[in-house]
Amino acid sequence: MAPLDLNPGFVGPSAGTGGEADLVIAGGGPAGLAAGLYAARYRIGTVIVEGYAPGGQLVLTDRIENYPGVASTTGRELVAAMRGQAVEAGCTMVSSHIQGSSVRGDGRVSILTDGGEYATASLIIATGAAPSKLGVPGEEKYYGRGVSYCATCDAPFFRGRSVLVVGGGDSAVKEALHLASFASSVTLVHRRDALRAEPVLAEKILRHERIRILWKTRLLEIAGTDAGVDRVILETPDGRRELRMDGVFVYVGRKPATAPFSGLVDLAPDGSVATEEIVHTSRENVFAAGDVTDHELRQVVTAVADGARAASAAYAYLQHLPGRQG
Amino acid sequence: MALLSAADAEQVKKLFETLKKDVHIRMYTQKLNCEGCADTEAILSELGSLSDRLKIETLNALTEPDRKESDGVEMVPAVIVSDGTHTRARLYGTPSGYEFTTLLTAIVDAGSEAQNLEQGTQDFLEGLTRELRFRVFVTPTCPYCPRAAVVALRMAQKSSRVRAEVIEANEYPDLSMKYRVQGVPRTVVNERFFAEGALPEQALVKALGKALELPEDGLEVNLISLAEVPAGS
Repeated sequence: MAPLDLNPGFVGPSAGTGGEADLVIAGGGPAGLAAGLYAARYRIGTVIVEGYAPGGQLVLTDRIENYPGVASTTGRELVAAMRGQAVEAGCTMVSSHIQGSSVRGDGRVSILTDGGEYATASLIIATGAAPSKLGVPGEEKYYGRGVSYCATCDAPFFRGRSVLVVGGGDSAVKEALHLASFASSVTLVHRRDALRAEPVLAEKILRHERIRILWKTRLLEIAGTDAGVDRVILETPDGRRELRMDGVFVYVGRKPATAPFSGLVDLAPDGSVATEEIVHTSRENVFAAGDVTDHELRQVVTAVADGARAASAAYAYLQHLPGRQG
Repeated sequence: MALLSAADAEQVKKLFETLKKDVHIRMYTQKLNCEGCADTEAILSELGSLSDRLKIETLNALTEPDRKESDGVEMVPAVIVSDGTHTRARLYGTPSGYEFTTLLTAIVDAGSEAQNLEQGTQDFLEGLTRELRFRVFVTPTCPYCPRAAVVALRMAQKSSRVRAEVIEANEYPDLSMKYRVQGVPRTVVNERFFAEGALPEQALVKALGKALELPEDGLEVNLISLAEVPAGS
C-alpha cells in the first residue's frame, strides 16, 4: 500500500475566497514553501496559493538524493515536510488556479484566482515550470494513451511493456531509471552524443541492463491505433527507424509558468521571470524564486534558497512602506 | 499497527472536528480475491477511531449480494461516502497515497455545509436534465488525481443527477484496459466523453455543457477539445 498522503490544505473549499494580504506567494513547491516559512517567521501575513497538485514538480520526482542533510527521500516526503513546516509557522494555504495579476491604483498587486481576488502589498512568484512539449506529430493525440509527462503517475500502466524516454537531462535519466523497474525495456533517445544529466545519474543509466540509449537520435513521430501508441519513428545517425513502442515519456526541459504574470513583470526571452540580485523583478514589490526565474541551476536546494531570499527581500520592502513599524 | 503517525492522526482529528453532521461510510469488502480489502478496512477503521461523526458500515460483498446490487456496487473494495441520503459518490480501490487525501476531502465535503463548488458549477448542476456518470481513473502516486476526483465527487454529492466513481486503476486492470487507461487522471463521463488530466473546474463544466448537447451515443469525444483548452494543461 502506498503511504497515506495527508494534505489537509487540499481538503475543504477548493479555492479560498480572496481578501487582503501583506504577502501572497504564488506557488506551493519548494521555493514557495521555503519563502512561506521564512515570511511567516518574519511575522508577515502570508497566503500561499498552491496549484492543482500541491508541491509542484517536486512531487513528480521519484527520488531525491542531492538535498543536503537528507540521504535519500522521495519528492512527496520532502514536500510534505516542507509544507507542514510552512503551515505550522502560520502560512494560510489556498488551493487554487491563478488566472492573472495586475497593479492596483494603490500600488498593491491584485492576484485573481478561481476563488477570488487577493489584494496584496507584495508578491513572490514561485509558480515553477511545467514540462515542455516536443511538438511532434502524435504527441497531443496520444496524450494519456501512451504519451506521458509523469512517470510517477503512469509508470504502472507500462508494466512489462516497452517505453521510450526522450531527453538527456536529470529528469529524463531519473525517470528512465524509475520506469525500468516497471517496463520490460526502456529506450532513451537523446539528440546529442553525451548526457547532460549529472554524472552520478549518467553512470547509473549507462550501466543499467534494461535501458539502452540511442545517441544523436530525434523522435520524429509518435504513431498508433485507437488503443494508443504502438510505434515511434526516429531519426538516427543511420537514417530513419521505426520502433515498436507502447509508451513515450517526454522530458525535454520545462516551460516557466509565467502566463498569469506576463503583464506584471519583465520576462526573459525564454519566458522566465527576469531577475536581478537573484530575487528582484522589474517591480519593486514583486519577487521571484525557483524554477520560474531565469536562474540556470534548477534544483530543490536552489529553489529553497531563492525562497528564503525572496521572503527576506519582501520583508525589507514591507518594513519601508509608509505607516509600518520597522 | 497505526497507519497514521501520531501527528497526522492529530491533524485528521482536528479536521474531523469541523464536521457539522454525521458522515455515512458504507464499505463493501470481502476476504477472498480482493487485493485491497484488508488495507481499506484498516484505513477506515483508523479514521473511524478519530471521530464520532463517522458512521462506518462494513458489508461483506459475498454474503450481502442483495445490498451490493441495490447499491450498484460493481467491485471491491468499495467505499461509499455521503451524508446518509444517497450512494452517488464512491471510491473503488484502496484509498492510499494521494487517494487518501481524496477520501478525506470526500468525508469533509459530506459532513460540512460549506459551499465547495464554484457558482458556475452549481448553476450547471441545477440546470441538469440528463444523468451524468463519472468514472475517474486514478493511481495513488498521481498528485494531479485528487483534483479530478474531488470535483466529480463534489458534483455527485450536490446533484441527484450525478454519480461519481473514483477508480484506482492499478487494482482493476481489466476495467482499466476496457477504458484504455494509460495515463491518469482519466475521466470518462457517460461512457462517451473523456478527458486526460485534471481540467480546471470551469473548463470541465463548460465542456460538459457542450457535451450534453451532443447525442447520447456515438464516437468518443475529448472533453478537452470541447473546453477549448490545450491538452496537458
